[in-house]
Amino acid sequence: MSVFIIRRLMQSIAVLFVTAVVVFLGVYAIGDPVEMLISPDASPAERAQVIASLGLDRPMWQQFLTFLWNAVHGDLGRSFVFNRPTISLILERLPATLELTLTALVIALAIGIPLGLISGLKPNSATDEAIMTGSILGFSLPSFWQGMMLIMIFSIWLGWLPSTGRGELGSFLGIQSSFFTLDGLTHLILPAINLSLFKLSLVIRLTRTGVRETMPLDFVKFARAKGISERRIVFVHVLKNILIPLVTVIGMELGSMLAFAVVTETIFAWPGIGKLLIDSIMRLDRPVVVAYLLVIVSLFILINFVVDILYSLIDPRVRLGEQS
Amino acid sequence: MYRKTFYAAMIASTMLASSIASAATLTIGSATEPSSIDPQFSRTGNNQNVAMQIFDRLLETDTTIGIHPALAVSWKNMDPLTWQVKLREGVKFHDGSPLTAEDVIFSLTRAKNIPNSPAPFSGNVAAIASMTAVDPLTIEFKTKKPTPDFIEQVGFVYIVSKKAAENATIEDFNSGKAAIGTGAYKFKSWTPGDNLSLTRNDDFWGKKQDFDNVVIKFISNDASRVAALRSGAVDLIDAVPPGDVKTLSSISGLKVFSIPSARLIYLALDSSRDQSPFVTDKDGKPLAKNPLKDKNVRIALSELINRQLIVDRILDGSGEPAGQLVPPGVAGNEPLIAAPAYAPEDAKKRLAAAGYADGFGITLHTSNDRFPGDAETAQALGQMFARGGLKVNGVVAQPYNVYTKGASAQEFSAFIFSLGNSTPTSATGLRNLLMTNNKEAGTGSFNRVRYSDPTFDQMMQEAMGEFDADKRIALLQQATTYVFQDMPIIPLFWQKVHWAGKATLAYDANMTEDTSATLTKLAK
Repeated sequence: MSVFIIRRLMQSIAVLFVTAVVVFLGVYAIGDPVEMLISPDASPAERAQVIASLGLDRPMWQQFLTFLWNAVHGDLGRSFVFNRPTISLILERLPATLELTLTALVIALAIGIPLGLISGLKPNSATDEAIMTGSILGFSLPSFWQGMMLIMIFSIWLGWLPSTGRGELGSFLGIQSSFFTLDGLTHLILPAINLSLFKLSLVIRLTRTGVRETMPLDFVKFARAKGISERRIVFVHVLKNILIPLVTVIGMELGSMLAFAVVTETIFAWPGIGKLLIDSIMRLDRPVVVAYLLVIVSLFILINFVVDILYSLIDPRVRLGEQS
Repeated sequence: MYRKTFYAAMIASTMLASSIASAATLTIGSATEPSSIDPQFSRTGNNQNVAMQIFDRLLETDTTIGIHPALAVSWKNMDPLTWQVKLREGVKFHDGSPLTAEDVIFSLTRAKNIPNSPAPFSGNVAAIASMTAVDPLTIEFKTKKPTPDFIEQVGFVYIVSKKAAENATIEDFNSGKAAIGTGAYKFKSWTPGDNLSLTRNDDFWGKKQDFDNVVIKFISNDASRVAALRSGAVDLIDAVPPGDVKTLSSISGLKVFSIPSARLIYLALDSSRDQSPFVTDKDGKPLAKNPLKDKNVRIALSELINRQLIVDRILDGSGEPAGQLVPPGVAGNEPLIAAPAYAPEDAKKRLAAAGYADGFGITLHTSNDRFPGDAETAQALGQMFARGGLKVNGVVAQPYNVYTKGASAQEFSAFIFSLGNSTPTSATGLRNLLMTNNKEAGTGSFNRVRYSDPTFDQMMQEAMGEFDADKRIALLQQATTYVFQDMPIIPLFWQKVHWAGKATLAYDANMTEDTSATLTKLAK
């Protein structure tokens, strides 16, 4: 296991370095941040002052080496726009996104797995057809439009739920989150649903396929012959076997939800990192874009790592393979 | 008699109760958000919106950028290099300490030393040679050279408290510790990306504000901002998309507040070089001579444009056809210059006179996310030019962040750009946009097409050196008349800007596109 971890670590560092080079070069090739930042009635002297203070008067290789040197020392630079360390900007907004993503994930799993099971156990029934048709909707509705519709229905017509912002934060065990206040929770509902609908459909389909594939297998027949209750067969033996593809896909999707919940965050004015990324790209806040992508790559590496460990917990064969 | 008084008292008390209930909190949905609470960190609009509620300046502007005394009550120049400014008496900072000349001197010194500021106020204080406090409420300024618009320069710098800001970092401002101003509202909290919270400053020197608390929510998406207003989550929104103006004003209980802003949308023409990258002959081959150098061609292009049609069809009416830099109402506007009329016949004659009776080929460039209808406007211009006999080789639309670099690097031949005038006269805009690009002289910093006319430069220097305000404006008008006869850029329209809010509110729609609680009142 430790060999595995060390090898993984080395690979991760290589990936991070390559990302840093590609992203830095890519981002620095686009546009001129001074044009974006400067005031419309600036004088030439002011412009020169800004260029010098942002370090943009130096050649690109010099800027890159400075960036790399600082990055190795744990400093990913300061934002052009906010003049604050990029890492603290990102970490400040990460909780909001985590909160949204986890809620969406819980919704997707809590509704998706049971519906998938029902469909898979009674294929081609009316219920199955209804669930499958519903999931097509979940797949194909564009997130942007879907978000506007949710706002239209639940905020404007019915007036039940708020449509923008994160709401009041409560604190529990030192953690600040909207989970702990009613206002916070009501603000969370619409964006979380919007973000979860696609994943929900995905979970339904994955579960259904898994169940359909597993049910005819010999061990299920054997378990039935042994007289084990149908309930136990489905919820213990079948479910365990279909979890592996589910965990793989969910791991990947969790990463992409964290990184690119941009659309949902923009529509619902949710102060998360996706919105920070889009704003930073528009304003050419290069340090933030680079730091953001590095943080996201690290997150992906971490999530994949956790997924690998989960495999070995769910599937004994993975553990056995490692030992031999 | 008694009964009458009783009724009056009843009505008064119910009115009071209802107005208090609704006046308690004002929630604004704003398209932009500040990058810092430090008012001197950046002078771009998004930061000014916030700064103007917590801090004050020596001057304040009205809806048409006219200047009025704020922290300064009077100013006069003793000789061309000396100015004496009197400060307002009895002004208190949010921490209770009084405003003195020391705070002002400190603020004006600090303005040029903000670390890593992306848009510093250093230009506003560049003219100052020295400052002395004559008494606690009087400051004497010496300038490096005669500066007639001196007060307009220093008057726009936000004044911070020396005590609170002396050793403060940007984090101290963002947390509120150093956000001590003299403004109408006090800082309460800021959650970047989400909201800014303010409370009323009851010791404010100016008019008492109608709201106890103000919450500004940052909603960058247009549709979401409109939805937030319609669902009642916010009371007022800014940057209403032109397409939604009609819908919103037809909803009872809502009201739209509009004004043509001082943001000019124009077509820049590469008129200074002998070869221009995107001008060709009719077959797409390079031309020996750049036709855009010819004044007749530029005027012809302007005459081929039906400005009113663009405003009506593309902008849903949210524009005002323009023929010069600043709109009526802003000092320096020349009322005699109307927006050029649509005159295709005359244009053809001019093109023929210039030797392009068959037209020539041109490619238009534009941004596609900078202001409503930018890409569509370029397409319409393309069609209008084609109808006038030109061969339009293409209309290229790019995202603004990529586009600006190309525009400034002289990579285009004809491109759409905008200039928001935020100063009280047209002088700054004319200087930056049309005077010869010259780093040493500090002129032409946004003169992307490198237009240059020595006579105009001379006229502008004369205008900017004139101490008599009325004469200065007359000189600016003359310079404007002179330069727009040469059509250095083709003015298209001034963008109309809109706010929308509950009908119980009144908002001061303003040309500088400011969104602020200080501009919001309860409707009478």
